[in-house]
Amino acid sequence: MLAAGIKTPVPLEELEIHLREEIERQMEAGLNEQASFISAVQKLGPAHSVQNEFMKVDKTRNALEWKLMEIGLTLATIMVPLLFGGIVLQRSSFIDMTAAEELSSLAALAAFSLLAWSGRLGHRFLPVIQNRRIRDAILFSCCVPLMLWWVVFFRLILPRHDFTMGEFLVAFTWAFFTPVGVCIGLNWGIETVARKRSAPAGF
Amino acid sequence: MIRKELVAASAEPLVLSLLANGESYGYAIIQEVKARSDGKLNWTDGMLYPVLHRMEHRGLIKSRWAESETGRKRKYYSLKKDGKTAMARHHEQWSLVHSVLAGLRKEQYV
Repeated sequence: MLAAGIKTPVPLEELEIHLREEIERQMEAGLNEQASFISAVQKLGPAHSVQNEFMKVDKTRNALEWKLMEIGLTLATIMVPLLFGGIVLQRSSFIDMTAAEELSSLAALAAFSLLAWSGRLGHRFLPVIQNRRIRDAILFSCCVPLMLWWVVFFRLILPRHDFTMGEFLVAFTWAFFTPVGVCIGLNWGIETVARKRSAPAGF
Repeated sequence: MIRKELVAASAEPLVLSLLANGESYGYAIIQEVKARSDGKLNWTDGMLYPVLHRMEHRGLIKSRWAESETGRKRKYYSLKKDGKTAMARHHEQWSLVHSVLAGLRKEQYV
């Protein structure tokens, strides 16, 4: 089973336990150890067929998880700009914020959404990376610099500048949201193109 | 021997109905089906496990690892609420097919 590609510990362990039970039962019925083993393996069925069935289960699970993830991303890329945009518009009348600053903050939020969606909508221009580990590595290599940038921005850049509230909101929206939009867009696009190209017919 | 398409289609309702009697594990489910069908419903043993995993993923059944009285580790499956609903639906559909077939057969002998 391992040779056939069933690597996940749970199915392997379950199949191994099944084999042991069947061998035990065959030996109780009078067969010797070798004959019991051969019979039990035959009854278990061809390893590649079992593997194919497990792969179908995994694909269904992954497809559902991805669908939920896409719903989450869609909601996040619509609701977050709306929420923050609302806050900016509401606060701008109370704090020292010029019309240009207000517009710039709103532009940063719009850029976040557009960057995130550009990856999803323009996925066909991105390379097809079938290897899941490489896709995970790309996601990781996007998240690490993003977090480093946030640390630099909040710990080094912000304390050194005496921003007004309006300037702070502009700097924050551009520094925080725009890189997140790039990161989401790139990974959303790469994941979409990989899934669209690998989905078998009729699945 | 029953056609493999029918064997595959009947796997889910049979597993659900067996688990409605209480929790069980893969090997026991196969033996039970074999015994109840006098060996005519012969599953390829390994094929049951992907079916169980798919049903678990769909939220029809749940599983837990436990030790048997002999000390052997086993994965026990039991029915969830959605599984009971799915079982009722299966029974309804299979009963309908059965009644249509029975009616047609009766007509042939009249």
